Amino acid sequence: MEWNEFFLALGQTVAMTLIAAVLAYLVGLPLGVLLYTTGKKGLHPNRVVNFIVGLLVNILRSIPCLLLIIILIPLNRGVFGRATGEWYTMIIPLFFASFAYVGRVVETSLNEVDQGVVEAARSMGASSMQIIVKVLLTEARPSLLLGVALSTISILGYTAFAYDFGAGGLIARAYSIYSSHPINYLSRPDIWVILALIVVVVQVIQEVGLLLSKKTDKRRIAK
Amino acid sequence: MAEIEIRHLSKSFGEKKVLDDVSLSVEKGDVFGVLGLSGAGKSTLVRCINGLARPDEGEIYYQGELLCSAKKPIEKQKRARIAMIFQQFNLLEQRDALGNVELALELNKVKGKKVRKEKALACLKRVGLEEQAHQYPSQLSGGQKQRVAIARALALEPEVILSDEATSALDPETTQSILALLKSLNKEYGITIVMISHQLGVIESICNKVAILDHAHLVEQGGLSDVFLNPKTEIARSLIYANNVHTELNEHHFIRLLFDGNADEPLIANIVQQCSILISLVYASTKVIDGKVYGQTVIKRPKDPAEREKLAKYLTLHNVKFEEVKSLGME
Repeated sequence: MEWNEFFLALGQTVAMTLIAAVLAYLVGLPLGVLLYTTGKKGLHPNRVVNFIVGLLVNILRSIPCLLLIIILIPLNRGVFGRATGEWYTMIIPLFFASFAYVGRVVETSLNEVDQGVVEAARSMGASSMQIIVKVLLTEARPSLLLGVALSTISILGYTAFAYDFGAGGLIARAYSIYSSHPINYLSRPDIWVILALIVVVVQVIQEVGLLLSKKTDKRRIAK
Repeated sequence: MAEIEIRHLSKSFGEKKVLDDVSLSVEKGDVFGVLGLSGAGKSTLVRCINGLARPDEGEIYYQGELLCSAKKPIEKQKRARIAMIFQQFNLLEQRDALGNVELALELNKVKGKKVRKEKALACLKRVGLEEQAHQYPSQLSGGQKQRVAIARALALEPEVILSDEATSALDPETTQSILALLKSLNKEYGITIVMISHQLGVIESICNKVAILDHAHLVEQGGLSDVFLNPKTEIARSLIYANNVHTELNEHHFIRLLFDGNADEPLIANIVQQCSILISLVYASTKVIDGKVYGQTVIKRPKDPAEREKLAKYLTLHNVKFEEVKSLGME
């Protein structure tokens, strides 16, 4: 077993996942706020805007990740000078595959915020921007943090497609083990090491998200 | 000049008219009660006053100036003059008591973190919660939460506090302490309070004026003792008198005796002794309004016309208001 290679692959997987997740939230968070704000319960209900944005989000979400990667080849080439073959060429496809999803996750979290506090803020003369920043995002924080963990794990799942484009990462590595040892790959320890590493990474993301959410949730403080 | 004057306010939600040509006037320093059953339009009325709802027709004037109307939305500065407290308290769960009060100041761009903190602490102290400043809503009782909400309302030094069923989620004891707090703020700072409730007891314990809303219409309005002692409409009677009366005695006729605060003598006993009429008591209730005892007693109407006449004479002689009623107002 080549531990260095494992850790390199692990690093690639984590790097492409995290960078894509950060980018996805940079766009997905405002997108979720827009979906919420223009939605039925929102601060400025607007059926037309909500319908159009919602439709675009749904269309984007319904494109399979692999297809998205293929379509984004020219964009990748324009940005990185190459379409495939390096771990970072996965960032843009992963971002496109996930920001719409993140938007929906954020929207769901905001929808959980009690309308009463929004109303109270409004009665105190708050502007919409103040309500979003000081009320909605604050009150939804525990739920938003759980959403981050959920979204990141789903992005991690998409990194599997890196195999198809020689972009590296742990999951791709597992497939290459299979293709070079198709008969007895399951009896090889390295495939199980990969499996264990992935499980650990997913668990860490999940637990960190859960822990942050719980730690910062003031509703959980005992009397 | 009225503190708040509502002129011909109407509002519908879709087909349903929730306010129909409502006009009322609240003077500075009033504790103005709006009484009505759920769905009568009380909440919408008070929400219109601070812009949470926009009327379809009519205007609201504040200290003589147009506050808002169907065409004109409320201005931010004026909104801060009119604070609001809610049935469900509506505190931020993720901020502690102090943070919740500071929010009101932050939203209105009060400069300086220290200034905000000191102001917020003073408000918490005023409502008796300075020791709970760093507790979160999940750690506070219902009454404490409402106190934080009141402190939050006070932070902007409002001239009016609107209370939307602020005590309806609280137990009777806590309700009384919150009402006492509101009353003291009214007395101390001259804050005008508009108080919505479906609970008669809440209105009569602190309000000096009352309006009764029924199915989008304002049916009665006036001084508390006037309206409560002499309700003119059926709905007002049923709200005021029929409280707690469950009766199947509708085949009988009744006489309602009204006491106006001067009745010191044992009237019923006197009637029995001096008129030799055996009185059958059906319902009795007394209330303390503005420090005077008011009340009503409902008795069965005597069957004998001679006795009836004698009773009427006796009551007239002793300045006791009375009226014949066919039921107790419970339709």
